[in-house]
Order: sequence, then C-alpha cells, then structure tokens
Amino acid sequence: MIATETFKPLVLAQAKARKVEPRLIVVKHPVGGLNAEELRERIEAATKGLTEATGK
Amino acid sequence: MRIFNPSFGMAAAGPAKVTLQPVNWATDAIALISNSKPNARELLEGVRAMLGAHRPVDNIHFHAKNSASQPAPKELIEKVAKNYKAALLALGD
Amino acid sequence: MKDIADQEVIDIGDMDVEAFNEYANEQGWGDGMPLFVPTEAKVAKFVETVRGDNRPYPPVPPRQIVPTLQSLAANAVMAGCKPEYFPVVTAALRGVLDPDYNLHGTLATTHSCAPMVMVSGPIRHELNINCGTNCFGQGRQANATIGRALGLMLLNVAGAKPGEMDRSTQGNPAKFTFCFGENEEENPWTPYHVQRGFAPTDSVVTVMSGEGPHNLNDHGSTTGDGLLTTFAGGMSNPGSNTIYGKGPMFVIIGPEHAATLKRDGFTIESIREELWKRSRVHLSRVSRENLVTYETTGHKPDGDWLSIGRDPKDIHITVAGGPGKHSAFIPSFGGTTVACTRIAR
Repeated sequence: MIATETFKPLVLAQAKARKVEPRLIVVKHPVGGLNAEELRERIEAATKGLTEATGK
Repeated sequence: MRIFNPSFGMAAAGPAKVTLQPVNWATDAIALISNSKPNARELLEGVRAMLGAHRPVDNIHFHAKNSASQPAPKELIEKVAKNYKAALLALGD
Repeated sequence: MKDIADQEVIDIGDMDVEAFNEYANEQGWGDGMPLFVPTEAKVAKFVETVRGDNRPYPPVPPRQIVPTLQSLAANAVMAGCKPEYFPVVTAALRGVLDPDYNLHGTLATTHSCAPMVMVSGPIRHELNINCGTNCFGQGRQANATIGRALGLMLLNVAGAKPGEMDRSTQGNPAKFTFCFGENEEENPWTPYHVQRGFAPTDSVVTVMSGEGPHNLNDHGSTTGDGLLTTFAGGMSNPGSNTIYGKGPMFVIIGPEHAATLKRDGFTIESIREELWKRSRVHLSRVSRENLVTYETTGHKPDGDWLSIGRDPKDIHITVAGGPGKHSAFIPSFGGTTVACTRIAR
C-alpha cells in the first residue's frame, strides 16, 4: 500500500482494527493537489519503495 | 471509586486467516487499486510506467473504488482476490 | 487509548472531578470539555432506561469492537446526559451503525462531517429538546448532551481519535454536539418521521453525517417561488461534498418560510423537485480539473449542469426553528444515508 507519511497513522490504526499487516510504502505528503511535475517525486519514491520491498 | 470504562468492548470475531501465496513481482499479474481520490490513479500509472523498465506491464491492471467516500465493493475485492496474487493500493490524499 | 484488553470496570481510587478529568484526558476519553464521572451507580441508572431494547450491537467500525450497555452509558454519563436521554442516544448510535450510513468512511474522512441528530415525536417535549428558537444552538441540556454523548461514543467506542482515525482536515464545531428537534407543531406538511413511514405517535431519531447548518437568509421574498430561488442559490455549491461524492442533504425550513411556501401551494414533493432543478451547478463554476475528476468517477454533467445529489429524493425536508426569516441547508458527507431509528420505550 502506498500512503503518505501524514496518513500512515490512519492506515496503521485501521489495519490494527482489522487484524491485518499491510506492507506499507510511505511517501511524502501530499499526493492530492500536486501537478505532474510535483507528482513525479512521489512516483519515483513509491517505485523505489516497491522495488526495495519486493526485492527486485 | 470505581468507574465504567467508556472505551471498553468485546473483540469482534476476526476475519478468517488468509494464507498468502508467494508472489513473483517480476512476472506475476498485479492489481493497481486507487482509492479514487485525485492523483491516486496518476501515481499508480507512474509506478506502472517505471516498472516497465524491469518487467512486463501488460498484466498490471488498474482498478478503483466506485467512490472515494465508499468502501471498496465486495465484487471488486473478490475479483482482485481471484485473479491476482499481488495488489498495490494507493491513497490519493 | 488502550485497547479491548482494558477492564470494563476501573478502580480510580479517591479522585475528585478535576483529577478524574486529568485522568480521562490522559486516556484520550475526552472532547476537550469537562466530563462527568461515570461511576458504577450513575451508569446503572442509565442502563435501566434501555432494558427494553435487547437487540445486540454489531461491531462498531472503524475499531470493530462490540460495546456493552455499560460502556455506552459511561459515555452518556461523561457527556452530562440525564438517564432518560440515554434511549435517544442509543437510538442515534443504532442509526449511525446502519451499514449504508458508512460510519467507517464518515469518521476516517478528511471531510468535516459530524453526526446530525434530529429528534421527532412526543419525546421531544418530554425531554425538553429545543425544536424552536435557536434549536441548533446552545441553551438546552438535552440538545447539548445527547449530541455530545454520541460524539464521545464515536471517539471512545468507534475509535475516532482526532489525528489518528479521525482525519478531518479542519473539523467542525458540530463535532462537539449537533442535536435538535423537529418543529412539528409549526410544520404545515408532514413531520419528517411520518414521511419516513413512522406513526405520528412514534418517537424517532434521525441521523445524517452532515456539515453544520448553512444559513439561508431571505427577508425580501414574499412568495414561495422567491424563497425557493434563494434556497437553491444557497445549496448550489461547487465545493460541497454532495457534488463530489453525491448523497443526501437536508433543507430545514424555518416556520415563517414554511408558512409562505404552504400558502403558495407548495408541498414537500414540489419543493424537492424545484430545489433539485434550481440548485444545479453550472459548469462555468467548476474547475477544469474537478470536471475531469467527476467524469472519471462516474459523475458526468447533464448538459452544462452538475447536480448536487443523485436525484430529488436526496433532498430531505422538514421544519425547525422559531420566528424569523431564516432556513438552513445541511449537506452531507456524500457517501452516506439518512437513517431513522424508533426510540425503544
């Protein structure tokens, strides 16, 4: 799951309530409201996080 | 003095334990799921494009909730569970 | 907040009210205002008032725990309720637990929504619930504490802790309390709970996850048609969740506006139809980026217009308040429903 650092506590609280352990990729906040150039940094961070998390 | 705890409750019966299948992230189909907030889809599209440098992407598919304010419909969850070993969710907040 | 392993009953020793408030706030049990102490004796009095309602409660989302009557009563005691208010509070809780109310979404959202609690039927007068002048405001213990008790339940039982599970960007003063009664006596049409199929003699709680009341001021119009032009203008808002997420909304008509509309032949149904047509938002008032978002999430415009709900039935109408030329618009979270629960007595 890709979530921003600001929304990480919500994800963790909901995961705890549902007794699941999502693998989290945390990127800078926000994602919404960014233009394409600004979003590029989040895409690169998310892809790096995914690659590291999946060992590829 | 004794008081009642206002946050007390009984644990609800938990969901059945799910056994995850091993995933080959280099080849297996992946579901990309947006929470339907603006830029969640764009974020996932960008990740998919970058993954294209390392793996085939024609079996990486987009899915989305009907509404950002509603839970994912049961049919979507069942479809993803049936057809994919891996899912990547994005919150567009 | 500690989790479900907590004891149901806690021995807090010899605390005065100030010390209890310090303790409660350390546990995360408070809304920022002073709390009453939920002693065993007080809680027992509250529980006695709902003994006739034996239906079990489902797990309360997002935290997914099943509350006990005692833990629910503890919240009502802390809020400052009288014991006889407790059946109204539990009915309101059952309303927000309607799956279509989408409690999880309404509590975890960044939107400012709060549970609007409207009381209908004879119990309004028995409990001295304000249905008239200043009904959305301060002044009556029942209005103030019934809404507050539900808010504390959502904090302590549902787990809607601000900054953690409750992610509202700005919040809303209605999160402290938002409870009022219908002014059935000055409603020239049908009381809301009767519109929903209940008997006039039933006492009913209606809940909707809404914003605070938006004022609809019209001192100038002398016709029902003029009033509806003003109402629709106030409702036509490109920044509302009901255009973004689609969903229900309330128009709470003040008694003087209601009398004018009735005199001119309008019914609940015709008001709803007129407001639906006139409150549409012209595309020139919607940003290009938002239009793309609406189209991709299935909310395509109808010609040059976007509606502020799914259909006319999303506009719920009743009468509340006192003398004066004001009414109110209460938009909802969007992905929610208006849930009614008969109060068990």
